[in-house]
Order: sequence, then C-alpha cells, then structure tokens
Amino acid sequence: MDPQQPAEPVYYICGDCGMEIPLKPNDVIQCRECGYRILYKKRTRRIVQYEAR
Amino acid sequence: MEGKSYQRFPRVKIREMRHDYLKFELRDTDASVANALRRVMIAEVPTVAIDLVEIEINSSVLNDEFIAHRLGLIPLTSDRAMSMRFSRDCDACDGDGQCEYCSVEFHLRARCHSDQTLDVTSKELLSSDHTVVPVDFSDASGYEASEQRGIIIVKLRRGQELRLRAIARKGIGKDHAKWSPAATVTFMYEPDIRINEEMMDTLSLEEKTAWVDSSPTKVFELDPSTGKVLVVDPEAYTYDDEVIKKAEAMGKPGLVDITAKEDSFIFTVESTGAIKASQLLLNAIEILKQKLDAVRLSEDTVEADDQFGELGAHMRGG
Repeated sequence: MDPQQPAEPVYYICGDCGMEIPLKPNDVIQCRECGYRILYKKRTRRIVQYEAR
Repeated sequence: MEGKSYQRFPRVKIREMRHDYLKFELRDTDASVANALRRVMIAEVPTVAIDLVEIEINSSVLNDEFIAHRLGLIPLTSDRAMSMRFSRDCDACDGDGQCEYCSVEFHLRARCHSDQTLDVTSKELLSSDHTVVPVDFSDASGYEASEQRGIIIVKLRRGQELRLRAIARKGIGKDHAKWSPAATVTFMYEPDIRINEEMMDTLSLEEKTAWVDSSPTKVFELDPSTGKVLVVDPEAYTYDDEVIKKAEAMGKPGLVDITAKEDSFIFTVESTGAIKASQLLLNAIEILKQKLDAVRLSEDTVEADDQFGELGAHMRGG
C-alpha cells in the first residue's frame, strides 16, 4: 500500500438493514444506520475465471 | 516376426438407427475387439465441451464454481470435433479462445426483471460458431417444443443477474466425462439356446407351463396347439440361469443347454446428442484404427516408443 495516498473506502453491506457502509482502515465495524456489527464484504468487480470441471 | 495370421473379417449388421440410438450386431470377432470398440466410444471419441468460464456478474443463488461445472456438462453439437485440434497442440493460438481450430466462445447474459422466476437455459448460451451450439432436445421424443426449452443452468429471482463468457474446447471422455459423446454403450453375447426335445417330451403340459413361466424374461413360449416349447426371443435371455435351476429342481437336468456365442455381439449405443449415434460408431472405428497404426509401427522398432506419442505414454501407464 502506498502510504502517501489516502485509503479508498471499501463498501460493506449491513447484515441487518442491508445498507451500504463505507469503511476505512481502523474504522469501527458497525452499521451507521442501525448499529449492527455484522457486515458483509461485496463481490469483486473483477472477472473471475474457473475451469468447468 | 513371421507367423500365423489371426486376421478375422468381422461383419456388422445395423438393426435400428435413430439420431441418438443405434443397435447393431457385430459378428466374427473376439470379445477383445468388441470391448475395445465399446471403450473407445465411451472415452476416446472427441467432442467439444465448455472448459473455461469467465464470470463477470453472478448474483444468483448458485456459486461461480457450481455454475461453471454445470456449463461444462452441457452437450454441444460436435460434428466438427474430429477435425478440430486439441488446444494443447494448437500452434495457431495461445489457447484463450477465439481460435477457429481449437476453441469456440460462448456468451451468456441474463437478468430477471419480473416477479416470476426466470429459468436460464442452455438456449441462452450464444455461440461464436454456428456449428457448435448446445444440443437441441425439443421435438426429439414426446416433449412439446414449448415445455422443453433446453437445459436449465440456474434460476433467477427479481434483480438477480448472470453474465459470463465461456470457452469450449475439444476433449475426450478419458480426460473428463463431460467430453464423452456416449450416454451408454453396451454389448451382450448372443445366446445359443438348445432345448433337449426328447427330454421336453417327457414333461406334462403343466410342467412345461411352469418351466416356461420360470424365466423372468419372455424367452420361451408354449405352443398351445402342438404343446411344444419354443424359443421365441433368445436375446431376451439375461443369463440368469433361472430356467436351468428350474429344470434341475424338476429333476430334469440338461433340459436346456444355454451357451454364449463367443464371436457374436449385440451392441446398443445411446448418444448424448453431441454427435449422431451412427457417427459415434464410425469415429470410434477411425480412432481404433489410428491406435492400431501406432502399434504396427512398433513391429521392428521396439525401443523407439517415443514415436507412438500419446499411445506410447498410455501403454507405459502414463
């Protein structure tokens, strides 16, 4: 990680209300809307490759 | 290496032939040849199947690997497979699709916009090559074209989406069963059933009926007018020995003698639809000939088994 650049926020999905929550390093893992503490990581935007076997 | 010739001249008689079904007799040859033919049809006749899947978006309930695996199992029309190249020995491309010799590209885009579940089927796979497309099973037998709409890959609810690119390659069933063009290939020995007529005449009508009925399949019949037991369908015999046990139980061992004709085989071939059943047989014979040519080369050059290529590795257990 480049220390000069400020970290891009990563969006997570709240396990309770389903809101998208931007999170930066050292942020508290908690939903800002409902206070729920279980957040889900979103699927990658990259193309993923699989062998059909 | 001079010696006696064991060459035989097998005969083939086609009994029934449909697009995906073939029944034929193979005579005047050995079980080794019949079994080699069966095994080549199952595991060595090439077809084209999806081998690589690049998923862009998948918000369905099935995970990426699961969908990739399902796509691989979809039979594709493979009439061109015999003249195609294996992507591993294709020098015209780097093996990532878009090569006319070794691969075919497919695209799939589906998104559900309604409250009704959307079935994503093999019909939605768009091919880059019109000769290689998912096998169409509609109007094949009994199913109405409207109700049978291809092979279901995944079901989507409102808002779910699937977007992917797939690459189909040539392969053989030995590598992965998805490349096998055969659903089933079986052969049976033709039975030779001889009734001891003298002994049969000593039986009463009830005994004959009981004996005929002891066979689980309808092989024998009792002629009501003459009272004689006839063999009506020898091929229905499943080598179950029931009639032999029954004869022994009745105190008449040797009433019937059943042997398998060691040089007559009845084949049943069912194709997945990737190639016609008749073409499957022809391709299998062609591949068997190629393999035998490789063996013939070894006659005077035993050491140089590198020249056999794939077969050499095969025989060394690789």
